[in-house]
Amino acid sequence: MSEFEKFKVVTRYELLKQLRRKRFYGGLGITVLAVLLIIGLYEGLNLPAHMGIPERYINEYGAEIFAMCATSMSSLAVLAAVFFSGDAIAGEFENRTGYVLFPNPVKRSTLVIGKYSACLIATTLILLVGFLISTISVLVLYEEVPIGILGSLAIALALACCIISMAFAFSSALKGSMGATIATLLAYMVIFPIISSSLAQAGYTPWFMPDRAADSMSATYDIPLEEVFGGWMRGGAIPGMVQASEDPFTSFCVLLAYAVVLLMASLWMTNRREMI
Amino acid sequence: MRESIVIDGLTKYYNGFLALDNLSLKIKNKEDVALLGPNGAGKTTTLKLVCGLIRPSSGAVYIEGTNVFEEREKAISKLGTLIETPEFYPFLTPRETLSYLGRLRGMEEEKLEDRIEEVLELVRLEKWTDVKIEKFSRGMKQRLALAQALLHDPPILILDEPALGLDPRGMTETRGILKEARKGKTVFLASHLLAEVIQVCRKVALIDRGRLQAYDRISNLERKYGSLEKAYLELTEGSI
Repeated sequence: MSEFEKFKVVTRYELLKQLRRKRFYGGLGITVLAVLLIIGLYEGLNLPAHMGIPERYINEYGAEIFAMCATSMSSLAVLAAVFFSGDAIAGEFENRTGYVLFPNPVKRSTLVIGKYSACLIATTLILLVGFLISTISVLVLYEEVPIGILGSLAIALALACCIISMAFAFSSALKGSMGATIATLLAYMVIFPIISSSLAQAGYTPWFMPDRAADSMSATYDIPLEEVFGGWMRGGAIPGMVQASEDPFTSFCVLLAYAVVLLMASLWMTNRREMI
Repeated sequence: MRESIVIDGLTKYYNGFLALDNLSLKIKNKEDVALLGPNGAGKTTTLKLVCGLIRPSSGAVYIEGTNVFEEREKAISKLGTLIETPEFYPFLTPRETLSYLGRLRGMEEEKLEDRIEEVLELVRLEKWTDVKIEKFSRGMKQRLALAQALLHDPPILILDEPALGLDPRGMTETRGILKEARKGKTVFLASHLLAEVIQVCRKVALIDRGRLQAYDRISNLERKYGSLEKAYLELTEGSI
């Protein structure tokens, strides 16, 4: 039996595990609720007008601006990815399930990659539901679907890959699943933004930071962001905030690079970790 | 007779603590050997090393001639293992769990289904085949752990306290299962329960503080010390 066959077996059963967990359905419910809330409030409160977006831009980019808001799911991508992945490796050691799983003729790297794939598929399912609702909404309301939605989805998936890898790295290094989950959330939601904001304030463009790369989800619609959102805040947008998310392809590559490097780190640590 | 398991000068330190001190053992094909010793003697450490779950500070383990630390997957494919009190994924049923493990071990689809029924019947879990494991008691999980160890009909069984967590009836049944299952297999069993050892194995490796104190047939030890209990007490004297 080849390692690829074993990888398929691991992915299949790990996915079955994910789909049996309440957190999958919780994540799905929260996603649906969040997207519906964004769409409802956007339309119900006529948000573009309150955001100071000039009328001509609303007329010209109405569908794109709506789609951009409706698909702003970076937080959901992060949360879904973290909750599926935080316990992927650490849980095997912490919950002692590794005593059954590891003494099998399968490489640990195959187990890790199989688990990774299952987490990614579960996260993708949740994101796809969110994007599907957003796409249907924009189609119903504006009778068109901006192609930028696909770019936004691609960046959301790259972000999911990055976060899953980060959670796997922490999960491989730390004793507990909760610790790995919290460490991932802290890194992405506290540490990285501090570094990114500091760099932006100092005049550097933090295009290489994952949190800023994730902001590019809103830059895939060919909307002149600086002009459209320039009036949102007094004195215009924060320097570096809009410019940092101007190149979706670079951001996509940055997120994938983090995903690859962190997954490699996770593989290395898991291979070395002892089932003590 | 060819050796199933060769433990060659195994030493293991945990952060400076010596858990296993230059342990060497040879277990022949179809032999049943109990690793006997007090708590903290190094029994579980030895079994974990045999299964490749941890790495030695020095030494090697060979399973049917294959070095566990150089060709891990090939070496452990011959093993059926029950280490410590394992846990299972609570969201899966015994059938799904055994199906997962069987496929990882390269079992054929048609044979796997029949074998799952067979081993679950053997450990008396046939009525719980499709119930999620989250509803299982510790004893039931221990039975399932035994079932997964026997699933692929491995030539070598590595068992760490197989009756742990079982009630008296479960213990008796487990010993009966092991007596039946060991036929034609090599059994390496760690325990500190003398009754279990006497019923399941014919040979004993007695270890204390990570060192091998005796390795002989139970009958020989009984002849020399009067009983296995006396041998145990004498050879592990003053260890705590």
